[in-house]
Amino acid sequence: MLRRHATFIVISLLTLSAAVAVLLLRGEAAFRHALEATWGLIVTVAPSIIGGLLLSAALRQLVPPGALARWMGAESGLRGLLVATAAGMAMPGGPVAAFPVVLVLAQAGADRGALIAFVLAWSLNGFQRILVWELPILGTDFALLRLLCGLPLPVLAGLLARWLPIRWTPEDAPAFKPAPDKGQ
Amino acid sequence: MTVGVIGMWVLALGALFLCLRRSPSVARRAVGEAGTSLTRVAPVMLMALPMAAFVAELIPDGWAERWLGPDSGAAGVALATLAGSVLPGGPFVAFPLVLGFLKSGAGPAQMVALISGWAVLGLHRTLSWELPILGPRFILLRLSASLVLPFLAGMAAEALLPLFPGAALR
Repeated sequence: MLRRHATFIVISLLTLSAAVAVLLLRGEAAFRHALEATWGLIVTVAPSIIGGLLLSAALRQLVPPGALARWMGAESGLRGLLVATAAGMAMPGGPVAAFPVVLVLAQAGADRGALIAFVLAWSLNGFQRILVWELPILGTDFALLRLLCGLPLPVLAGLLARWLPIRWTPEDAPAFKPAPDKGQ
Repeated sequence: MTVGVIGMWVLALGALFLCLRRSPSVARRAVGEAGTSLTRVAPVMLMALPMAAFVAELIPDGWAERWLGPDSGAAGVALATLAGSVLPGGPFVAFPLVLGFLKSGAGPAQMVALISGWAVLGLHRTLSWELPILGPRFILLRLSASLVLPFLAGMAAEALLPLFPGAALR
């Protein structure tokens, strides 16, 4: 709650200082130009944002996040990393939604390589963000190029994470609760 | 752009239909949660979208082209990765800002590195969400496993660029 307001306040302050700087340094015409560009962006992304929020809310009702974890254990090999990558890309919503899901997956048995692949696939290649933001704003060619270059990274990171001697278990997480419904 | 919007709505309505088939109350809950998220996201977004536009006006002429231009090569990719990792805010800041950079002469490969750096390394998201939920050890593991990847993505984009002529927006 507090964190959300903090984000809003910080962003508002940054926006206001940028607005003042544009007025002082670039003049009124540039200021108006920026506002027009903003309006254009809002018109571009509003329909897909509403659709995207509806989609993520509906998916949350349909798919229990722990359901996929049994394919993501330490012995799951490359297939586990691929499942984790696909799940991460399909994971809708922002960090508020995604990081708790990592914890759920970990408690349900996913290994650290799969967890890292999941986080990276979500943050790099989450399809919701691509459809809502990247495609409408930056265009098909750029979005495809970016996706193509990002596609192998989650699997690479997962392999590296399995190889690195850094252990992490759900008990290390501050948000860890020894849930009674563990391993659902 | 309309393809993305239409695809999103087809998927959303399809998922909503599946909810409805399970039971009307599940569908109602989905719509309600979507509404709650919208009221939560909208204020931040409406404040953040103009920021990207203002910053784009502030970028001095030739700056993006000089430091992050198509000819800036590996150094530009590295600089862009670094810039991405300290860029605060969600997609409503990052993508409009990248649009501004591209229009003022930044290279697509460098911008691939910037988005990847923002997505993978983003300090802001790491500190405000990952740290309190998953803890410092997880961050250490994730960053060690992914530190060089955004740079690699940028270099891969540099190599693949000829296949995507429309990626440069000017």
